[in-house]
Amino acid sequence: MQFIVEDADSHLHISVTETRIDAAIATQFKDKLREIVNRNRKPVHLDMARVEFMDSSGLGAMIAVRKGLPENLPLVLLALTPNVERVFRLTRMDSVFDIRAA
Amino acid sequence: MTPTEQSDPRMQQMPDTQPMFARVLRASPELVRDTLQDIRSRFREDVDEDALGRLELVLAEVMNNVAEHAPSVVIGRLPVIHLCVVRHVGGLACALTDDGSSLPAECLAPRNLPLATDMPEGGFGWYLIQDLTQALCYYREGGRNYLAFSVPFATRMDGRPLS
Repeated sequence: MQFIVEDADSHLHISVTETRIDAAIATQFKDKLREIVNRNRKPVHLDMARVEFMDSSGLGAMIAVRKGLPENLPLVLLALTPNVERVFRLTRMDSVFDIRAA
Repeated sequence: MTPTEQSDPRMQQMPDTQPMFARVLRASPELVRDTLQDIRSRFREDVDEDALGRLELVLAEVMNNVAEHAPSVVIGRLPVIHLCVVRHVGGLACALTDDGSSLPAECLAPRNLPLATDMPEGGFGWYLIQDLTQALCYYREGGRNYLAFSVPFATRMDGRPLS
């Protein structure tokens, strides 16, 4: 499980390198990402451009990460691919996440 | 059908032959992942990306449910899933059986989404399955679950299946 973390002063830019966030890695994904965002205490921009597939376990992991952040710290999701965007849209979780094109 | 007809190579090139996928697998998240990737490869040339994405999501939810609710303590091993997907004119017909836990009736009852603002971390799986499929049917017989449904090619403007 690898994340590429760049500190851009105002926020952390984190790129997900996994191509699938599914039941096989959801727990690991959640634990590792929470550790990174909790250590830094900064707004997070999560670049999802490489993620081709996400299931409801992956969505649950994303929600857990959002809940683990203080409410005043933004978590912005960048560059969702169509299969990932579909899961957020169908579950209406696109209404509680800040989703941006890139 | 006589044995001669069965082995006639021309029979395999009939124009109405549809691509299909069949597999028997243990219900582990890793094997589910491998199977989904193989299904994608099998249908890539015959099915558009949108339908393929919906098929992949539905099958992931169904098979992960079997893995997640496996009665492994009781039977001492992972359940075994039999999966078959066939392309039809209007969509992808799927049939799955498994020897895992019985499906609770509420999974198939009409259901609402958990409230987004409550930030639930689960409870989306069966909503997605119902939302993305048509003609969903289920029965349990002889210690096995049988589940069948179709993932349609055409969808409404909002991405949900045409009803």
